[in-house]
Amino acid sequence: MDPVNVLGKVIEISHSNLEVASRIEAILNLMAHEMGLEEALLYTLDKDKRLSCRFMNRTSRLYEILSSYRCHVGEGIVGSVAQKRVPQYFTDRNVPPRFGCLFYADLDEETSIYKSFAFLPLSDDSFVYGVLLLCSSGIGTPLDTEKIVLSIIARELGGILRTYDLLVSSKKRISELATLSELGRVLTSATEPHLLLQNIASITAKSFNAAFTTIKLSHSFVRLDLQRFTSGEIDANLEGVLRELETEALRLKRASSLSDHTPESTLNATRFSLHCTPILSKDRALGTITLCRKGEHQLEEDDQYLVSAVANYISSGLETSFLNTKLRDVLKELGDAQKRVIEHEKLRSLGEMTASIAHEIRNPLVIIGGFTKRLAKQVQLDEKDNRYIDIIIGEVSRLEAILNDVLNYVKDASLLLESCNLNSIIDEILYLLASDKIWERVRVVKTYDPDLPTIVCDIHQIKQVLINIILNAFQAMGAGGTLALKTERRLYQDRPSVAVSIADTGGGIDPSLLDNIFNPFFTTKERGTGLGLAISNKIVMHHNGHIEVRNRTGEGATFIVHLPINNKTTGAREGIT
Amino acid sequence: MKTATILIVDDEEHIRLLFKEELEDEGYSVDLASNGLEALEKLKRSAYSLVVLDIKMPGMDGIQTLGEIKKLNKDLPVILCSAYGEFKQDFSSWVSDGYVVKSADTRELKEMIKRALGA
Repeated sequence: MDPVNVLGKVIEISHSNLEVASRIEAILNLMAHEMGLEEALLYTLDKDKRLSCRFMNRTSRLYEILSSYRCHVGEGIVGSVAQKRVPQYFTDRNVPPRFGCLFYADLDEETSIYKSFAFLPLSDDSFVYGVLLLCSSGIGTPLDTEKIVLSIIARELGGILRTYDLLVSSKKRISELATLSELGRVLTSATEPHLLLQNIASITAKSFNAAFTTIKLSHSFVRLDLQRFTSGEIDANLEGVLRELETEALRLKRASSLSDHTPESTLNATRFSLHCTPILSKDRALGTITLCRKGEHQLEEDDQYLVSAVANYISSGLETSFLNTKLRDVLKELGDAQKRVIEHEKLRSLGEMTASIAHEIRNPLVIIGGFTKRLAKQVQLDEKDNRYIDIIIGEVSRLEAILNDVLNYVKDASLLLESCNLNSIIDEILYLLASDKIWERVRVVKTYDPDLPTIVCDIHQIKQVLINIILNAFQAMGAGGTLALKTERRLYQDRPSVAVSIADTGGGIDPSLLDNIFNPFFTTKERGTGLGLAISNKIVMHHNGHIEVRNRTGEGATFIVHLPINNKTTGAREGIT
Repeated sequence: MKTATILIVDDEEHIRLLFKEELEDEGYSVDLASNGLEALEKLKRSAYSLVVLDIKMPGMDGIQTLGEIKKLNKDLPVILCSAYGEFKQDFSSWVSDGYVVKSADTRELKEMIKRALGA
C-alpha cells in the first residue's frame, strides 16, 4: 500500500460530485482493495440515535447479518467505540470472547476466517457520526503508519457524513419553515375559525406526511358548531384509541404518543403511531391536534416541537378569530347604536321643527275657526251656506286634531309606570271599539295566555299603541276578515318579555313600503297623519320594547309588540321616579 | 250680581278679539292687554275677577307674568291659555288655576273660567 497514493484517492473521492452513498462506498472499496481487507463496513447513527450498518464494500459477507441489527451508543464494541471515540484493534487472539454474538446471532462463525479487526470512530470534536469496521484475513495488527492513514480516512468519512447530516437537517428546517410560513399565511388570511382549522389540519397532514391529522376542540371553551376538523380519514378501528389519547392529552395538558408496534428495535414494525398535542391558551386547553402516521417510527423530538408550534399557532389563531368575531359583533352593535342615535336626532330635530310650525299654525287656526263659529251663530244663512260654514269648522277641527297628533309625537311625555295585565287592557280596548256597529264584519279571535305575567308600563301610552295597531288592522280589513289577538310570555333579546300579536287578514303591507311604516308622517291612508305607528313605536321603545312586523304579502300583517316584564331602565328619561 | 271682569293677555290681536267677544257673549266684562307688562299695569290700577294668560309672548312671557300676578294677588285666578299642549301637565297643577290649549272651540275655556270663578 502506498499511503500517499491511497490518501490522494480518498480525498479525490471525498471531494467529488458523487452522491454521499456512492462516495462512501467508493472509499470503502478503495480501502478494501488497497489495504487487502475483506470487510470495510460503515455504521451510521439513525434518527433515533442508534447505530446501524448502512454501507459496505463490494466483497462484504457480514453486511447482510449486521445490517439487520441496530445498537445503542455504548452497546457492544461498535457502541463503545462510538461512545469513547477511541479506535480499537483486535487480532483473532485478543478478540473479546464470543465476539459480537451477544448482539449478532450466528456472527462468530462468519468472523472466524478473519484474523484482525479494526473499529474506528467517525467523529469530530463535538459529535460522533458513525463507526468504521474493517476485517482482514491477514495476520497482525496494523503498523503505526497504517493507523495514521486509517484515522485520516476515518476523519474524511466523518466529514462526508457530517456534510450529509447538515444537508438533511437544513432540508428539514426549510420544510419546517415552509410549513410554518404556510400556517402563518393561513392565520393572517382566514378569519373564519372553521376555515382556519380545516386549513391548518391539511397543512399539518401534508407536511408531516400523516395518514390523518385531526383537530378536536373541547366543548367548554370553544363555541363552534363543529368540534372536529380532520384532514385525511380516521380509521374506524383507531377511533377509540384516538379518543382516549385526546382525553388524556387534554386532561394532562401534555402531549401524548401511542404506537402500535411489536416490542423492541426491529425496523418497520410500527403499523401506526399517534401523537396528540394539546392546544393551550394561557392555562386553558382549547382542544388537541393529533397526527397519525403509518408504517413509520414515532415522531422525532424536533418534529414534536414543530407540532407543538402548530398547536400554538392554532391557539393564537383561535384567539384572534374569536376576538375578530367579538369585534365584529361589537362593531355591529356600535353601528346599530349609531343608527339609533341618528334616527333619534333626526326625529328630534324634525320634532322641534314640527313643534314650532305647529304652534305657529295654531293661533291663526284658532282665529279662523273661532270667528267662523261666531259667524255661524250670528248670521242667518241658507242651507247651502251653512254647509260651507260647517265644512270650514270641520276642517279647522281636523287641522287642530292633526296638530295635537304632531305635538303628541313631538313631546316626550314622561311615563307613568304602573303594573298592568295586558289581557285585560286588550279586552278593555276591544270593548270600547267593538261597541261600534262597523266592527260586526270582523271576527275577533283571542288566544290569551291565562298566566300572562303583569308588566310595568304606562297604561295610557300602551293603550294608545294597541288601539293604534288594532285600528290599523281593522281598517286594513275593509271588507271584513279575522283579527287574531294573542298574548304570550316570550324572551325578547334574552329578556323575559310579554308579546302581544295582532294579526289581520287585510292583504298585508306592500313590501316596498315596509321600511317606512314607522316613519313619522308616512301614511297610506287618505286622511292619516302618518304619526300613529311612529308614535306607537316611540312609546314602545321608551318602554325598552320593540314592535316586530311580520308581513304575509297578499294575506295579512302581524304586528307583535314585545314589552319587557321587568322594566327598570325606562328611567333614562326625566320625570320617572 | 256684579259681572265678573276678565283680563285677557295675548300678543295676538285677533285672539284677544275672539276671546273678548266669546266671553262677552257669556256675560263677562272683558279688558285686554297685549303683553305681560301692560297686564301688570292694568292689574295694579283696577280690580279683575280672573286673568286669561297666553304663555308665549315677546318680552315678559306668560310664566313670568304669572309669577308677578301671584305676587300682587295670590288669590286672583289665572288661567293659562296657550298653543303649547305639552306644558299642560307641568302647569295645570302648579301655580295657575287652569290650563287650556287654544282651540277654535272655546267651550273648554269657558267651562274652566266658570269653575274658577266658583259659579
